[in-house]
Amino acid sequence: MLTGPFPTGYLNRTTMRDLLLVFEYQFFQNAVMAAILTSIIAAMVGTYVVSRKIVFIAGGVTHASFGGIGMAYFFGINPFLGAAVFAVLSSTGIEWISGRGKVREDSAIAILWSLGMALGIIFVFMTPGYTPNLLSFLFGNILSVGRSELYLLGAFCLVTIAVFAVFFRPILYTAFDPEFAKVMGIRVAFFRYLMSVVIALAIVFSIRSLGIILVLSIFTLPQITAMLFTRNFAFIMPLASLWGITGSLSGLLASYIMDIPAAASIIFFLTLQFLLIRLIVTLRMLMLRKLSQKPVKG
Amino acid sequence: MKEALVILRDINAGYHSEAVLSDVNLEVYPDDFMGIIGPNGGGKTTLVKVILGLLPPFSGSVSFPRGKPAIGYLPQVSQIDKSFPITVKDLVNSGLKSRNNWFPQLTAGQRKQLHQMLDEAGLSAIASRPIGDLSGGQLQKALLCRALINRPGLLILDEPDTHVDKAFEQELYSWLRELNQEMAILLVSHDIGTISPLVKTIACVNGQLHYHPSNQLSEEVLKVYNCPVDLIAHGPIPHRVLKSHDHA
Repeated sequence: MLTGPFPTGYLNRTTMRDLLLVFEYQFFQNAVMAAILTSIIAAMVGTYVVSRKIVFIAGGVTHASFGGIGMAYFFGINPFLGAAVFAVLSSTGIEWISGRGKVREDSAIAILWSLGMALGIIFVFMTPGYTPNLLSFLFGNILSVGRSELYLLGAFCLVTIAVFAVFFRPILYTAFDPEFAKVMGIRVAFFRYLMSVVIALAIVFSIRSLGIILVLSIFTLPQITAMLFTRNFAFIMPLASLWGITGSLSGLLASYIMDIPAAASIIFFLTLQFLLIRLIVTLRMLMLRKLSQKPVKG
Repeated sequence: MKEALVILRDINAGYHSEAVLSDVNLEVYPDDFMGIIGPNGGGKTTLVKVILGLLPPFSGSVSFPRGKPAIGYLPQVSQIDKSFPITVKDLVNSGLKSRNNWFPQLTAGQRKQLHQMLDEAGLSAIASRPIGDLSGGQLQKALLCRALINRPGLLILDEPDTHVDKAFEQELYSWLRELNQEMAILLVSHDIGTISPLVKTIACVNGQLHYHPSNQLSEEVLKVYNCPVDLIAHGPIPHRVLKSHDHA
């Protein structure tokens, strides 16, 4: 096991041996695990988010959590605890507002979005001295994920899988047609709130690796990539996990080779992957259409 | 005297303390096939939601003298998000009783019920397709299957004849006539002309509800009911002399 400093490898200096060497570093192994676990969590939760077309809500919750981070710095508690509290409160709050139908939901989300950021900035400003890792909350720092954080991430990943496995159908049916689900006796409000808590926590767990500004893409890009192949809710989740993992691992590796920030590189590769697959799918469809249009020779 | 399935007494209902329905009384019997007509905003869908228990009324009562029956519900198709990634199979399955209908894997009994329902509707071939791929008629059929898979005693259809072609409409109506042998049907429509030969009785809803114990209505009667519905587009409607009602 190597413990030396992270070798800054530029493209022209990198050999295959260098590339494989990096996997022997503990911090890189941790980063790979974090990328895989975050991809699985975001794939499942993101499938729900994209299907219900509530990406904007997820964005609001993400940014509102910055208020919690700032407050936690000010009071000297764990920033992730602060983020989790703010995320859960804003997520369930939006659910509550949308259930009452008296306030315009999109305006309420915009207010939470910017208010969270404002509170975060104010509290960070008022905190005396140096605020460590502040930038890593905004842009993520997957290379500094520790063992204990990995265990937490793994535990939450298991919880998310369990929630979707046990409540698969009520979750799907309330997402698709809440009114009908209510007629069928499903406890719609319970599942809506359960999911808003799961969404909030999934976002906070992903912020650790990808940062507030970049996190939304891992909740949407793997899903829309998966939806190029299937429009079956149950199949989108595993397929999005796969695309999340391939995209984030290639992003991670590229960040090492080219010495660029990991989170940004991951997002770039998730997007590139989507565009490439989209292109292939479209070309294949055009080819099939051309083949079927060819006149049959008699 | 036969016992009613549903009784609505002095219902006042609406949204955000703004009343849409006032003093509505209605009884639905097990063999009823009732057309519910009225102008847009008149309260047809509100009435349906009160019966379904989705909207608690401001005052009045909804009772089920024979015990609460299984209710099949077909919402307006505009309420359905066609881009949602759900298959026909899962859509129809969502009409099964919620108890034991949790896990991704279906039980053998649920699978059997599902296949029977899809066979009956002729949807087996497209069972694994996402609903976004369906035609208007196919989607209505799938939604109707979702409403019927529980074998309801009362079937409520909210505008089932929108976005479908004439051929499907005829198929739908003959299916409904058959289903009426087993269950009461409430059919909401703004198109009295097409449903009139199908239904047995008519309720006109425009704030208030006027029950009409026959399927034949004239324009004069609709005027008396304060229920402006377009009759002209569908040619001559059989005319019947009715006793006058006191609401104008």
